[in-house]
This record gives sequence, C-alpha cells and structure tokens, in this order.
Amino acid sequence: MRLVVADDAVLLREGLGRLLDEAGFDVVGLAADAEELFTHVAAHKPDVAIVDIRMPPTFTDEGLRAAREIKASWPATAILVLSQHVQASYAVELLSLGASGTGYLLKDRVADLGEFEANVRRVGEGGSVLDPSVVEELVEQRRTKNEPLERLSARERDVLAAMAEGLTNKGIAERLFIAEHTVEKHIGNIFAALQLPVSDSDHRRVLAVVTYLDAH
Amino acid sequence: MSGPTVVPSDGRTSTRGFDKGGGAIVATTAVILAVASVLLRLDDDGTAWAVAVSAGVTVLVGWSYVGSGLAAWSQEPTSNLGPAMVAIGLLWFLPCLAESGESAVFTLGVAAENLYLVGFGYLILSFPDGRLTRPGDRVLVGIAAFLCTVVQLAWMPFADSDAIICDGCPDNALQLTRADGVADAILQSQRGLGVLFSLLTTMLLVRRWQRASPALRRAAAPVLWAGAAMYLGLAVSILNDMTGEQWTTVAESVRGSAFAALPVAVVAVMIQRGLARGAIAQLVIELGADGRRVDLQDALARALHDPGLRIAYFFPTEQRYVDRDGAPVRLPQPGGGRRTTIVQRDGEPVAVLVHDAALRDDALLDSVSAAAGLSLENERLRAELLARLSELQASRARLVEAGDAERTRLERNLHDGAQQRLVWLAMTLALAETRLRDDPDGAASVLREARDELTSTLEELRTLTQGLRPAVLVERGLGAALDELRRRSPLPVALTATLPPDLPPHVETAAYFVVSEALTNAAKHSRASSIEVHTTVSDGALCLTIEDDGVGGAVPEGGSGIRGLRDRVEALGGRIRLTSEAGHGTRVEVQLSCD
Repeated sequence: MRLVVADDAVLLREGLGRLLDEAGFDVVGLAADAEELFTHVAAHKPDVAIVDIRMPPTFTDEGLRAAREIKASWPATAILVLSQHVQASYAVELLSLGASGTGYLLKDRVADLGEFEANVRRVGEGGSVLDPSVVEELVEQRRTKNEPLERLSARERDVLAAMAEGLTNKGIAERLFIAEHTVEKHIGNIFAALQLPVSDSDHRRVLAVVTYLDAH
Repeated sequence: MSGPTVVPSDGRTSTRGFDKGGGAIVATTAVILAVASVLLRLDDDGTAWAVAVSAGVTVLVGWSYVGSGLAAWSQEPTSNLGPAMVAIGLLWFLPCLAESGESAVFTLGVAAENLYLVGFGYLILSFPDGRLTRPGDRVLVGIAAFLCTVVQLAWMPFADSDAIICDGCPDNALQLTRADGVADAILQSQRGLGVLFSLLTTMLLVRRWQRASPALRRAAAPVLWAGAAMYLGLAVSILNDMTGEQWTTVAESVRGSAFAALPVAVVAVMIQRGLARGAIAQLVIELGADGRRVDLQDALARALHDPGLRIAYFFPTEQRYVDRDGAPVRLPQPGGGRRTTIVQRDGEPVAVLVHDAALRDDALLDSVSAAAGLSLENERLRAELLARLSELQASRARLVEAGDAERTRLERNLHDGAQQRLVWLAMTLALAETRLRDDPDGAASVLREARDELTSTLEELRTLTQGLRPAVLVERGLGAALDELRRRSPLPVALTATLPPDLPPHVETAAYFVVSEALTNAAKHSRASSIEVHTTVSDGALCLTIEDDGVGGAVPEGGSGIRGLRDRVEALGGRIRLTSEAGHGTRVEVQLSCD
C-alpha cells in the first residue's frame, strides 16, 4: 500500500515515515505543508494520504482543507487526518466529505503500531476510521440530551461506538467477543431505537451514526 | 476654605496700576492742551463761527479719547488700551500748535502733527488684548512710528515754510537750507508710504475680522470696523494731498468720523464686557438651581460667550488633565488661538479653562471661576472617578487579553514542543518494540534516541514552567528570585533587598515580574551602565525601586511592557510611578500592599 505523509514537524514526519516503512508500507512522499502534499498526491496517486490537521501557514485546520481538496481532485486517494486534539466537529466535517476512505485519529494512536497499521489499511481499502475518543465525546454530548440513546443497553452502546469508529460487523464481533449474528441483532435494535435508515454499506452506516450523534 | 484664585497661564503679573492721582494729572494736561488749542484756533483769521465749530470738534474728539482712555484704564489696569487712548487724546492736540504765529511753536506743531497716528495704530492693532502679540503688528506700528517721526524730521531741514508747508505761515525753525526738490521728494515718499501703510492696515483689519473667532468678533467688531474705515479714509486723503487734487471730500469725512467714533466703539466694547460680567449672576443662579445637574462646561461657555470653551480637570496625583468624561486632555501650546486659565482652590489647581485667546478679561475669568469654583471641584472629582473607571475597564480588558495571549502562547509551545516530542517518543518506542526480538542492537539504538529525546522534552517543559512561575520564587521566595534576576541581567545590578519571609505569593509574583520587566526594559532601551534595585517593606506595603543611569525618556503610555506592569500592579491595588526625564535615567517605583 502506497502512502504520502504530510506533517510540518520534521521529527514526526520522518518518524512516521520510518515507522510506516518498517510496518511494510511503501512511503512514496513526505510533505511539510499542503502544497507539497498536493504535489506528491498528484505525482504518486497514493492509496492513502496521512495528513496532520495543523500545518503552515495559519496552523489551524489546513489539514482538513487539504483533505477536502484531495477528496475532490483525487477521489481514489484515501485520507487519514491526524490530530493532537479531540475535535469532534472536525471529525464529523471530515466524514461528511464522504465516509469511504476517510479517517480521523489522534496522533497518540501511533504508539500501538499494530492498531495504527490496521487503521491505515482499513482507510486505504475504502473503510472509515474514527478515533474512539471522538466517538466517546460524541456519545457523551449526545447522551445528556437524548432519550433514545438512554434507552440503549450498555452493550448496544458499545456496538454503536464501534460502528461509529468504523468497524465492520466482524470487527465489532472480534472486539466485543460476541458472535457476528449477535452484533447484527444489536445493530437492528439500535437502528430501530434511534430510527435510523438501514444502510447497505459500512461507511454509509458510519456516516448515519456519526450524523445522528452530532445532531443537536 | 479660601476662594478660588485665577492665574493667567503666561504667568504675567501686573505691576502697573491705575490710580486716581495719575488720572487727575492726565485730565489736567488734557484741559490745558484743549484750552491752548482753542486759543490758537481763535487766533486764526477764518470766520468766527467756523473756527469755533472746528475748535469745539477738536476739543471734543481729544477729550473723548482721553476720557474713554481713563475709563478703560481704570476698568482694566493691566491692559495698555487705556494708556494708548489717553496718549492719542493728548497727541491729538499737538498739531494745533501749528496754528501759532511763533516760529518755534509752529515748527513743533508741524513736527508732531502725525504723532497721534502712531498711538492710533497701536490701539487698533493691539485691540482687544492691549498688547502687540503678533510680529506683523509690531512691524506695522514700527513703520507708522518711523514715518511720523524720522521721515517727518528728514524733510523739515530742507523745507521752506511758504513753499512746502503753508503759505503765509511762520518760518520753519528746523530749516537748515532751502532745497524744495529734496524736501518735496521726501514728503511725497512719506505720503506714498503712508498710503501703502494705510491700505495694508485696512486689509489686515478686514482679514482679522474674517478670521476672528466668535468671541473675538464679539469683543472687537466695532473697533475693527471703525479702524478699517479710518485707515481707508486716511489713504484717500493722503492721496488727495499728494496729487493736490480733491478727488473726494467724502474720504476726509469718513476718516474724521471714524477717528472720532473710535472712543465710542471702545466704550461700547467695554460695556459689552460689563454685560458679560452680568452673565455671571445668571451662572450663579444656574449652578445653584436644585434638582438638576448643570453641564458646567456649557454654562461657562455661555457665561463667557465662548462656545469653544473646554474645561480640563487636574489630577494632582498623576499631574495630568482630563475632560469631563475622564478622557485625557492635551493643553494648547502658548501662542495659538486658545489660551488657558488655571483655576485654583486652596492653592491647588482644580481645573484649567481652555478658552479663546481673545478672552483676556482676567477680572471676568476670575469672577466666573469664583462662581463656579465649588462646582468645578465637584466636577473634577466626578471626572476623576470616570477616568479611573475607564482606566479600570481598559486595564481589565488588557488583563484578559494578556491572559488569552499567554494561553495561546502556552498552547502553541506545548503543541509544537512537548506534545510533538512525546508523540515521536511513542512512535520510537513502538519501533523499538517491533525490533526487540529480531534486532536487539537496532532496538537498543532506537531506545537511546528515545532517551535523548526524553531529556530534551523535560528540558523544554522546565523552561516553560519557569516562565509561568519561576521555580526559585516558588521554592525560596522573592529575595532569592530577585538575586537570580540580578545574576541573569546583562547590566550590572546593585540589589538591596530586606524582605520578610512571609510575603503573600501574589505580591511576590507581581514584585518579581515588575523587577524582571524593568530590568529587561533597562537592558533593551536605557543604555544604562548600572541599575539599582531596592526593596523594603514598610507600613504593610512592599516598596520597590528600580533606577538606572541611562538615557531616560520612557513614557508611561509607552510599550506594552510598562502598561502590563501597571495593570498587574493596579490589579493588586498597588501603585506604580515612572519617572523618566530625558537624560536623567529611569526610575520605577512600585508600592504593593501586603495585606
């Protein structure tokens, strides 16, 4: 799988490149800002662009804007945005660009190399990834003012969170140590309780869940 | 409590007064001159009644000048207007001497025939101040004096009385030789210059009227107009003399009437000023009225007929002025169109009236200030309160801004520094973990990298926390922290600190940052060779003095550094004072309450 890494901090850029290289990815370009990122993406058409959210010149949300640009111009390239902060609204905005091949993770996640590697691959294969902390924040902010969410059982809420993180039914079953058909049953309950439209694909499901959680 | 007193801002004090004895002498002189001129006129050959009328008019005009001059002199003893008018009145009689049959008296009369015009020029050009403040005015009066004395005496030695002065008159006692050509040439030049001078002055007076402020117009209108008419008439009548033709006798009448009318105009202005004083009574009533707050500035503006009048209230502690809303006021520089009058109470300045420069009636200002004294004092307190409030608001806003800026800086420092390094560390450790089994040597080198990185991360966090609140201040108190500052300062610092160990932490922190900022400023801007830092605790307050021997010239409103210090100190109810005269070093004094 071919990757481009964009981060203005040389330490992290090189470190991440080295780490991903070590993990067996083909790192084809390292970029220090959005312009360099576009050049690399245009030249190499990578499977995934891993982008720091804060980059020059304003150090605010350049990564997010770059993601939008890449989604529009190179739809085949998946986007994984890295951030040092949990910013649910950014994550929702990112997913709304198209949940397929889209991810939002805290930078800390690189410490668990196996998990990180799996997330990069999932995004690269067209899946969605949402950081558990973001999901937790979304669920928390939604729970305090939402009755249907209150009515879900603890297990159902776990399944909901896993769905929001972008896990497949199989992934959910593995994480929660339950059978896949049990997962399907939980999901049916959740969709009925929250009155969500049933989705035919995992990434549409992520978007539906996240949009529900983010709704005010 | 003593009443308010008024000090003119130019520090002028009056030494010249008017007394009744002086007035009597002037009056007697005027009577003698008048009688002499009447006798001389009656000696003339003309028709008896015409001569009588002419003499009567001469006396009347002269006396009206002397009389109104004396009145003006007694009403405004510090002004030159009164003396100038008396002088015009007396000089007015001198040309009558030329009616004499005696050669010496006749010559004196001719020589002095135009002297009254010098006084007239002075009166008109100095009105209503009674002083020639503008250089142009001084030049014009100088020219008038030159034409009426030096030039007059220049042609007389060459002038044959019959040929040049008047046919059938007594001999010219000053005549040395007869040179009709020379005498005529000088005389004509004198007249030419006289015309030029008169036209110039007319134009000047008209322009002065056009540019006059409302207060000045009020004060000077009749006099300016009478003066302009007089000079215009004078120009035409000199032209008549030059050409020997009578172009217009209207000019002669205009000139005469305007000259005669001038004392009336002056008296009219004086009466107007008297009426203005009546406005004080109105002011007192307004200020005394119950149940409503009078706008003092508007009331004074009305009483003094100066719509542009402004009151600047004095803050003794900070030696500065603010307006009625507490906003700072810059007083006008001397010499402009505005003038200032300081109002004092118990010897302390309370306020400054910034008014039209034409308003020079000190007695009037005095009365107005007396009437408004207590209200001024009240208004001053109110203005001071408002100023303090707005300062407090601004300072609070700045503190919040400074706090926000500090948060942003901290967030950026943490994000770009420690956080990045820790993420990198996490990655590096992950990397070491993966290598551990297959490549222990590789893993060991990666771990070494991680350890080095961890050391610099700790270093960075240390610097960051040091900036938040210096460790030495936390651990060992202000004395040790100040000593640390002394050692770190690029300039030599002499530190004398006698401090109790139990100062409140917020006082210690504020004191630390005051000294730190002052030392930084001194190092950056003062070009000092040494700095003294002195701290003591007395009467429950920590007193700090930081003094350098540098170039001075620091301003309290200056850099954000000094303002930040002021905010910090005043937020704790402390006081800060900056003394930084150019060339005399900078001294920062701070008092912080330890309660």
